[in-house]
Amino acid sequence: MNDRTTPYRLLSWIIPGALIMTWWMVSRCGWLPAYLLPHPEDIAKSGYAYVFGHAEGGPYSGRFVTDVIASLARVALGFSMAAGVGVPLGILSGRLMWMDKLLSVSVNGVRAVPGICWLPLSLIWFGIGMKTTVFLIFLAAFFPIYLNAAAGARAVPAILLQAGAMMGVGRIRGVFAILIPGAMSHLMAGLRLGLGISWAYLVLGELTGVPSGLGAVIMDARMSGHIDVIIVGIVMIALFGQLSDYLLRCLLRCLFKSARRTP
Amino acid sequence: MSTRLKLISTRAARPQAVLDIKGVSQIFRVAQTTCHALENVSFQAGTGELICILGPSGCGKSTLLKILSGFIAPSAGKVALNGLPVFRPGPDRCVVFQEDALFPWLTVAENIAFGLKGRGLGSQSARQETERFLSLVNLEAFADYLPREVSGGMKQRVALARVLILNPKVLLMDEPFAALDAQTREEMQNFLLALWKKLSHTILFVTHDVAEAVTLADRILVMGKNPGRIRHDIAVTLKRPRMRETDDFHHHCKRLYALLRTGDTGGMQSCQNPRMS
Ligand SMILES: Nc1ncnc2c1ncn2[C@@H]1O[C@H](COP(=O)(O)OP(=O)(O)OP(=O)(O)O)[C@@H](O)[C@H]1O
Ligand SMILES: [Mg+2]
Repeated sequence: MNDRTTPYRLLSWIIPGALIMTWWMVSRCGWLPAYLLPHPEDIAKSGYAYVFGHAEGGPYSGRFVTDVIASLARVALGFSMAAGVGVPLGILSGRLMWMDKLLSVSVNGVRAVPGICWLPLSLIWFGIGMKTTVFLIFLAAFFPIYLNAAAGARAVPAILLQAGAMMGVGRIRGVFAILIPGAMSHLMAGLRLGLGISWAYLVLGELTGVPSGLGAVIMDARMSGHIDVIIVGIVMIALFGQLSDYLLRCLLRCLFKSARRTP
Repeated sequence: MSTRLKLISTRAARPQAVLDIKGVSQIFRVAQTTCHALENVSFQAGTGELICILGPSGCGKSTLLKILSGFIAPSAGKVALNGLPVFRPGPDRCVVFQEDALFPWLTVAENIAFGLKGRGLGSQSARQETERFLSLVNLEAFADYLPREVSGGMKQRVALARVLILNPKVLLMDEPFAALDAQTREEMQNFLLALWKKLSHTILFVTHDVAEAVTLADRILVMGKNPGRIRHDIAVTLKRPRMRETDDFHHHCKRLYALLRTGDTGGMQSCQNPRMS
């Protein structure tokens, strides 16, 4: 498997590489002023200072660790709450008619509201900071997780459940030994979508003036006119988004045979 | 084991009934129409008997099997296993389905071991059992393959092993070889007969293939449709192993074809169907 995908790995770096080259060219030739798009080298320097610098080195130097820990904690908490509620509810309403009927109107109603609309309300409810961000992440990540889990549970072939019943599998074991593995590709898709959207809502939650976090640093830098730091923040979020997606996949593969063996 | 086989094949005495089906009817109501899928079906299956249920498409063979396995409750009538009523699916009446019903995320060995979990077997003896049944269906070399990586015939052998390991009282098979090519189907028939000789399970085998029924069965229940009912109960006295090329074999097939055909037109005496004229 691995040796077959190696050339494809290279393939996926072509577009980012080309973008960075173009950017380099644009800055080099002075087609865009530095206050709109700084030179990549400057950004690399700011990024280095942001990550490895000492606290006294400058306004943003050395903040990285605190920011990342704060942001990761919010994403982890909001996402795991969404997964913890979304997966069981999704599986239940995928298999049980009454559960589906009970939830569908409410879920679709809430889903129709753009996540941003919850920001003012949650600021009033939870104040600025951790709770608001976690609430927003939970709300945003819940829907893809729930909907995909429901679709996955619904799509498990009836014949597999019949085979289980015929071999004497009870309801509880049926859920863990047949339903969840059978719905695994849907579950994975839902969780990955949910995690991706968690990062988006992390930034939204942190834009409201929390002291630390990757989103907070971006907003801070805009106020103080450090466009290089804004871009560093964006790159960090992109990196951590990718990294967390990768870790999520590893975790699922580690825990579930069915995740390892979905083609 | 062999004495019991002989006893059945010579039909010297009626073997003790495992499965007792009395007056089973099934009516499906779809929209405004009612469909008499089964009407007043009664028969008994003796211990160690291999019974084929033969009939045209739509005569209710699968419906009958679903009732016996407990997936649907009949509109009327009773099914009893060793004298106890059947009302839900369970490992004492195992099914080999026509379609692929293996768990795609489990390997061949894990599929075979699936039913053993939750039976209070130690992991050591569970592994031994799995190995035993793997070799019984000649799949030791494929233990770690996934179902999508083995052929159709192998899949059906896995499906057979995963239920045989549970030691069911009755084995219900719904056209298990219908999706295979002619050559593999014949191999599988011989294979099933060899297994049956070794383990002597009671088997109800649904098929619409006359030659398959004659190859396998001690006894053939010929069904007709509209409504689905058993029209003939025929003992197959051909000696085993049965050769398809012999005149006797052809003779049996011809007779069955004739019975099937008359069953369809409703022209025979055994067919009393007020609804059909
Ligand atoms: N769930 C159901 N709802 C309504 N009608 C059904 C249902 N299941 C089966 N039937 C009807 O019962 C009749 C018998 O169906 P069944 O599947 O038992 O036939 P079969 O003998 O197995 O045919 P085949 O050889 O094609 O598999 C058919 O007319 C079918 O339309
Ligand atoms: Mg059928």
